[in-house]
Amino acid sequence: MQSWFGKWTIVLAVALLVGGCAAMTPQPTADTFKAPEVTLDSMEVAHYWGWWFFAKTVQPTKGTAGDYGAPLDLAFVFNVHNPNTFPVMLESLKFTVAFEDFDLNSLNSAETQWIPPGKTNQVRVHGMFDGQQSRLNLMLVGGQKLKEKGVDAFTQLEKWWTTIGEGKFPVNVKEGAAVFKADGLVRVSTFKGAYPAP
Amino acid sequence: MKPKRSWWVWLSIVMILGWAAGAGAADEINIGALNDMTGATSDVGKDYALGIAEAINYINDTGGINGKKIKLFQFDYGYRIPEALTKYSLFKQKKCVAVLGWGTGDTEALAPTVGKDKMPYISASYSGHLCDPKKAPYNLFFSTDYSTQARGLITAWFDKKWPKKPDFGKRKPRIVFAYMFASPFSSASIKAAEDQATMLGFEVGPKQDVSLFAIDTKSQILAMKDFKPDVVLHTNTVMSVAATIRDAYALELGADNIIVNWGFDEALPVLAGKAAEGAMGCAPWAFFGQDVKLMDKVKEYAQKFNPGIPLEKRTIHTIQAWANAMGLAEALKRADKAGDLTGEGILKKGFETMRNYEIGLGLAPVSFTPTDHRPQSKARIYEYKDGKFVMMDEVDLKARWPEKWEKEWLGW
Repeated sequence: MQSWFGKWTIVLAVALLVGGCAAMTPQPTADTFKAPEVTLDSMEVAHYWGWWFFAKTVQPTKGTAGDYGAPLDLAFVFNVHNPNTFPVMLESLKFTVAFEDFDLNSLNSAETQWIPPGKTNQVRVHGMFDGQQSRLNLMLVGGQKLKEKGVDAFTQLEKWWTTIGEGKFPVNVKEGAAVFKADGLVRVSTFKGAYPAP
Repeated sequence: MKPKRSWWVWLSIVMILGWAAGAGAADEINIGALNDMTGATSDVGKDYALGIAEAINYINDTGGINGKKIKLFQFDYGYRIPEALTKYSLFKQKKCVAVLGWGTGDTEALAPTVGKDKMPYISASYSGHLCDPKKAPYNLFFSTDYSTQARGLITAWFDKKWPKKPDFGKRKPRIVFAYMFASPFSSASIKAAEDQATMLGFEVGPKQDVSLFAIDTKSQILAMKDFKPDVVLHTNTVMSVAATIRDAYALELGADNIIVNWGFDEALPVLAGKAAEGAMGCAPWAFFGQDVKLMDKVKEYAQKFNPGIPLEKRTIHTIQAWANAMGLAEALKRADKAGDLTGEGILKKGFETMRNYEIGLGLAPVSFTPTDHRPQSKARIYEYKDGKFVMMDEVDLKARWPEKWEKEWLGW
């Protein structure tokens, strides 16, 4: 049978082990918490269906008629570097995507992940660019700019959809903001980039 | 025989479990948000979406819902109704207690479902149709509804501008409506506008079908010229309104412009240039950066969470988002205090207990009762003058026409 001294030694050891894990990690403060760096590593066409558009006057073989445009699934890969001596949590990351200088999509990743001190994680964010949705967006937000360019929305979309795999025009990431947390403190990192890089 | 565990083993287990629990999530309330950042209304929807996330961060940083944090599930549905329906199902699976919705499309498509589910749905569709609790009991918003806006705009122009016109007292004033006929959003307030104009003695001209995507509206302006209107009411979003008033200016239509909120924002003078001068619009909230309660926090959180977007690019739509988010938070706090965070509890013990509740943000006080979900009867009218938005009138429809407000105007 163990003595009371032995029992308390075990309890103390557990307490030290539990407490020690936290104590060994340097604690972030408002002064020491540096904003992690986010950079665009690459962009790829994750899945591709070519270019097509069916107006709602076209009767489909199955399903209901509507204005349907080819989807485009793009994946954006970011390097997220933690320059701190303590782990930080990436809480969310969002950015706007522009084809050339036309804003087409706003993407958001809300999956959290911890980044060890001094290490770089990679985050992949998928964005679905729907043909019809992009057309409406282009007509509304980019309507005046297209008019000045002398191009209609369909022609512009077809050009983008059919050449994106060859990297013929810049896909710009802009207005990026990534929210990081550590021990209740918050840092927001801004980022932008282009692929192919200029 | 089962061995008896010693006290010190239990103490060690409790310590480890206690540490692990401390590292886990605190009590959370799940809220869904549907936004359009890429679709047909993204010209105004993107800024609204940013505002929703920033406001929720502010609410969480200032104590949450009586100590409980809000977990926001925010999605861009691109103004595609099937996607809105799918995301709504996801919100239910995530046990969201309320939804911050967006436009007329998703709001009207979901209205019967949210009523059946008893899911409070606070949207940026301010249609008067959503204000009758008999028809849409769980649809709410923190704004002047479109019909009250249109009535207020017509009244303000009639009171302040018409008496200064050379033909005042000689003939009836003439009004034309410019909007997209096929859009439920654009046409939501036209019936009320026509009623108000007729009541005030206007001659109403042929309605003009202007697409939300219009960049050239010369044919509609030429059609208006035959009628010689004194004033044009616009109920589209800002891109289309800017194109219309620009063409009206170029073709010397000579009419004043009165605009419902989505067409009257900081982008209007940028897009329409000189043509925007003198335009009147209904803005239930302050414009971004104006000196009103909570604006310092709106600016602080915009800079903190979206530092890549300059403040000069932010608009009144951020303020609209804050109004809806703050209004929902207040309802949740009241319901939580009453110990009932069910959908019905949030409606009855939250929203419907608000009487002249002041959020700040330049929004007039808000009330909801079990029989009337029109948040307010005051339409705040601004004029774009010398490069600034200046408040020129506040029309209180309930005070001016109490019987009609009470008995006739609810729900359309």
